[in-house]
Amino acid sequence: MWHITKREIYDNLNSLRFALTTVLLLALMVTNAVRHIREHPKRVQTYRDAVTESSARLTAHADGSLYKLAQYGPGNFYKKPSSLHFCANGGESILPDTIKVGDPPVFATDSENRVILQGVWSLSYPDANLQNKNVGPKVSQVDWAFIIGSILSLIALWFTFDAFSGERERGTLRLMLANSIPRHTVLIGKFFGALISISIPFALAALVNLLLISTASTVHLTTEAWGRLGIIFALALLYTSLFVALGLLVSARVQQSAVSLMILLLMWVTLVVFMPSTLASIASSFSPATSFDEFWKQRNPIEEDLWDKYDEWLWSSKVDDKTLRGKSAFFTENAEREERRHEERLRYRSSQVYRARAITSISPATLLQHLIEGFAGTGFERHLQFVENTQRYARQLREFVADTDRADPESPHILGVREGMSKKFITPESVPRFEDTLNLSRDFNTAAMELLLLTLFVLVLLSGAYLAFVRVEV
Amino acid sequence: MMATLIRRELLDNLMTFRFAAAVFIMLLLVVANTAVQIKDYERRLASYNTAVKTHQRQLQEGKTYSVGKLSVDRPPNPLSLFNIGLDKRLGNAIRVYHGFVPTLWDTEMHGSDNIFLNLFTSIDLVFIFELVLSFLALIFAYDAIAGEHERGTLRLTLTHPVGRGYILLAKYIGAMLCLLVPFLMSLLLTVILLTTSTAISLRFSDFLRVGGIVFSSVAYLSVFYFIGLLISVIARRTSTALMLAMFVWGFLVLVYPSMVRTVINLQESPQTRTASAFNEIKQIWEEFDRERKQFFTNNPGLGKDMSFLGIMRGGDTVEHIEEDSSILQYYYRIGLCVEKLKEKSEPQVPHIQNYYRFLGLQTISTAERAWLVRERALEDIFVQPANIERILLKLSPVGVYDAATQAWIGTDLDGIRDFFTKVRQYRQAVIDYFYDKEVFGSRKWFSADKGAVDWSTLPQFSFQRSNVVINAKRALPDVCLLLMINVALFIIIFLVFVKSEV
Repeated sequence: MWHITKREIYDNLNSLRFALTTVLLLALMVTNAVRHIREHPKRVQTYRDAVTESSARLTAHADGSLYKLAQYGPGNFYKKPSSLHFCANGGESILPDTIKVGDPPVFATDSENRVILQGVWSLSYPDANLQNKNVGPKVSQVDWAFIIGSILSLIALWFTFDAFSGERERGTLRLMLANSIPRHTVLIGKFFGALISISIPFALAALVNLLLISTASTVHLTTEAWGRLGIIFALALLYTSLFVALGLLVSARVQQSAVSLMILLLMWVTLVVFMPSTLASIASSFSPATSFDEFWKQRNPIEEDLWDKYDEWLWSSKVDDKTLRGKSAFFTENAEREERRHEERLRYRSSQVYRARAITSISPATLLQHLIEGFAGTGFERHLQFVENTQRYARQLREFVADTDRADPESPHILGVREGMSKKFITPESVPRFEDTLNLSRDFNTAAMELLLLTLFVLVLLSGAYLAFVRVEV
Repeated sequence: MMATLIRRELLDNLMTFRFAAAVFIMLLLVVANTAVQIKDYERRLASYNTAVKTHQRQLQEGKTYSVGKLSVDRPPNPLSLFNIGLDKRLGNAIRVYHGFVPTLWDTEMHGSDNIFLNLFTSIDLVFIFELVLSFLALIFAYDAIAGEHERGTLRLTLTHPVGRGYILLAKYIGAMLCLLVPFLMSLLLTVILLTTSTAISLRFSDFLRVGGIVFSSVAYLSVFYFIGLLISVIARRTSTALMLAMFVWGFLVLVYPSMVRTVINLQESPQTRTASAFNEIKQIWEEFDRERKQFFTNNPGLGKDMSFLGIMRGGDTVEHIEEDSSILQYYYRIGLCVEKLKEKSEPQVPHIQNYYRFLGLQTISTAERAWLVRERALEDIFVQPANIERILLKLSPVGVYDAATQAWIGTDLDGIRDFFTKVRQYRQAVIDYFYDKEVFGSRKWFSADKGAVDWSTLPQFSFQRSNVVINAKRALPDVCLLLMINVALFIIIFLVFVKSEV
C-alpha cells in the first residue's frame, strides 16, 4: 500500500496541476495574510478605543453615589475582535459589534426642563447592520473558510477525477490489479496519495500565511490561538478527504475522465454553491412576513399600562416608603420590559437564523464554514456568546449594586430612586468590569454535532468509494 | 464543405455523455433555483406590501403636518431572480421629510425583513450560469483541437481543401449550438415557471430584458468556448488541456473576483473626505440655527421657550438633530403635536405660525444647500470605490457578464438609484403641495386642537422601473466588451492555429 501511495505522490508532485495548485494557494494565502496584517491592527485599535471610552463611562458613573451607578449603569459593550479573524470572516460586516446601554429614560420634565421622573438603564441589542455603505459588487471574502471550503475542495476533485478513469484509459489499472494486491489496498493507497499531495501545497501556503502573520509586529497570536489553528487545519484535512473520497467514488464508476470531471464539478457546484444558499432561502421563506412588532403584539395582546398601575405614586413628591417603593417598582419594571422586548426581538430573529443554519447543514461546505467560524471565534455563534457574556455581566453589576446597598444598614434598600439608596461613597475600583472572553470547551460543545456530521459524511463517501471500486470491472 | 463540417461536429457532440449530463444538470439546477427564488420573491413582495400598509397607517396617525411620518418603500424587482444584484442587500424603506434630501444610504429595512439572514449568501440564475455555463463551454472545447490532434483526424481533415479558419468556425458553431440546447431549455422552463407564478406579472418590456440576458449569456458562453479552444490549440494533449482549462476556470470564475476585492485598498482616502464634508454640512446647519435664534430675538412676541412647551396642554414635541457622520447625515428634525392650547396663549399663535413659516422655508433651503455638498461627497466616498472595484472585476469575463445582466434587469447601482431619484422628486412634489396649501404657516402644522390633518389629498408616490431602452443603453458597453473579447479571442486562436504544425 505504501508503494501505491508513494507512486501516487511522485506522480502528482511532477504534474502540472501540482504546480498550478501551489501557485494558486500561495497567492490566496498571501493575499489573506496581507489583508489581515493591514486591517487587524485597525480593528483592535477601534475596539480598544471603544472599550477605554466605555470603561471611562463606568468609572464616571461609579464615582460617587451608588444611585448614579444604579441609574446609569455601565458604558456600552463591545465585541472583542478575534485574532483568528483571517480564518473566517463570519459575516463581520453584518453582525453588530456593540450592545448599547440605553440612557436612563426621562419620563417627565417640568416646564423649566428639569427632570422629574427618570428611570434606570437597560440593555438594548441592536439589529444586524444594513449593508448600505457597500454598493460594490458582491464577492466572497478571501479567508481560510473560503480557501478551504471552495478552493481546496475543488482542488481535491481536480486531483482525483482521473484516479481510476485515467488509469483505465491508459490501461495501467489492469496492470496494477494483475499484481496480488487487494483492491481496498489500492483504494486506500490512492486515497492517502491524493490527500497527502493536496496537503503539501496547502500546508506550505498555510505556513507562509502564518509566518507572515506571526512575524508582523502588529498582530499577536496566543498559544490558545495556535491550538485553534491546529484544529482548523485538522478540519481542513477532514473536509478535503471528503472530497477526495467523492472524487474516487465517481472516478471508479465512470469510464472517461472528462465525464468524471464534469460530474464531479457539477456535484461540487451543487454541494458548495447551490445547496447552502438555496436551502437558506427555503428556510427563510418559512418565516412569515410579519414584523417583530406585530409578533410582540400577538404575544402580549393586553399591554398592561405601567403608568396606570403606578399612577398614584409617580406624581407625588413625598418621600415615604410606599411612594419610593412604587417609583422603584415602576422604574425596574419599565427597564425589565424594555430589556425583555429587546431580548425577545433578538431571539425571534436568531431563531430564523438557527433554522436556516440547521437546514443548510446538509451541505458539507456549510458545516465546514460553521466549524471554522466556531473555532476562529467569529460568526453568529460568537455573536450570541458575546450577547450572553454581556447579559451575565449585567446581572453581576445589578447584584453588585444590590449587595452594596444591602451592606449599608442605614439605607432603606429601595433601588432605583435617589432617596431609597445607600448614601455611602463607592470607589470605581470596587465595581466589577466586563471582559469579553472566548471559551474553547464551549466551542467544542457547540461544534460537536457538526463535527460528527462531517465525519459521517467522510465515512459514507469512503465506504461508497470502496464498494464502487470493488464491484467495478476493469 | 462547411455544412458537412458543422454537421459532423454537431453529431459528435450530441451523441456524447457530456451533452446528456449538461442538459440534466442545467435543468436541475436552474429549475430548482427558480422555484426557490420565486418563493423568495413572493415573501419579499408580501413584506413590501405589509410595509406599505404600515407606513400608510403611520401617516394617518400623524395629527399635525409636522409629525406626519411619510415613508416610501422600494418594491422588489420581479426579475431579480435572474441577478439579485443590490436589490436585496440595500435598504428598502425610506423616510421622506421636507428638511432632508434622501439618498440610498439613509434607508432602512422593512420591519418584517430579518437582516441577520443576510449572513447567508443568496445565489441567482446568472450566478449559476456564470459557474456552470462557463465550465460546460470549457469541457466542450478542451479536446476540440487537441483531441483530433491526438487521434490524428485533424491531419485527415486538413488534407481536404478546407481553410483552417473554416475548421475553427465549424467547430465553434457546432459546439455553440449544442451548448445552447441545455441553456435555452432551462431558460424556457424558468420563463414558464415565472408566468405561472401569481405574484409575478411580466410585461412585454420584461421579456425584452430577458432577451437581453439571453444575448449576454450567449456572448459569455462563447467567450469561454473560445478560451477552451485556445487552450486546446496550444496544449496539444487532451490531459494537459483539461488541466489548464480547469485551472483557468477556477481562476477566472472563483479566485480572481474574490482576490481583487482583497488586494485593492480604497479605505484610506475617504476618511478625511468624510470628515471634511461632514464639517461643511454641519456648518451649513449651524448657520441655519443661528438664523433661527436670530428670528427669535427679532420677534419678542414669540415668548422665551423655543419649543413652545409653555403653550401646550398634552401632546408631544420632537426637536433634535439627526446625526450620523459615517453617511454624512446631519439635519434638523422637528415635530410638534399640540393636543390643546392654553387659552392664554391664543394671542401668541399668529407669531408661532409666522415662526414656523420662516422655519419651514429656511429648513428646505438649508437642506438643498447641504445636499449640494453631500451629493458630491457621497459620490466620492461610496460610489467611486465601488465603481473602481467593478472595473477591476471586468478584467474577468465573469465581471463583465454580471454587470451586463444587472444592467438589463435594473438591479445594478444605476437601477437602484433611479428609485431614489424618484423619491427625491416625490419629496419635491410633497414640498410643492405644502407650499400650495400653505402648510408651514398654518395652525395645523403644530396643533391638532382644531381637528387632525387630512392626508388624503397628499400626492401619492409611485415608482416605475426605468424604460427598457435605458436598461439596454446601460448594458450596451458591457455587451460590446463581451463581443469584443470574442472577436479578439477568435483572431488569436486563428493566428495560433494557422501557424501551428499538425
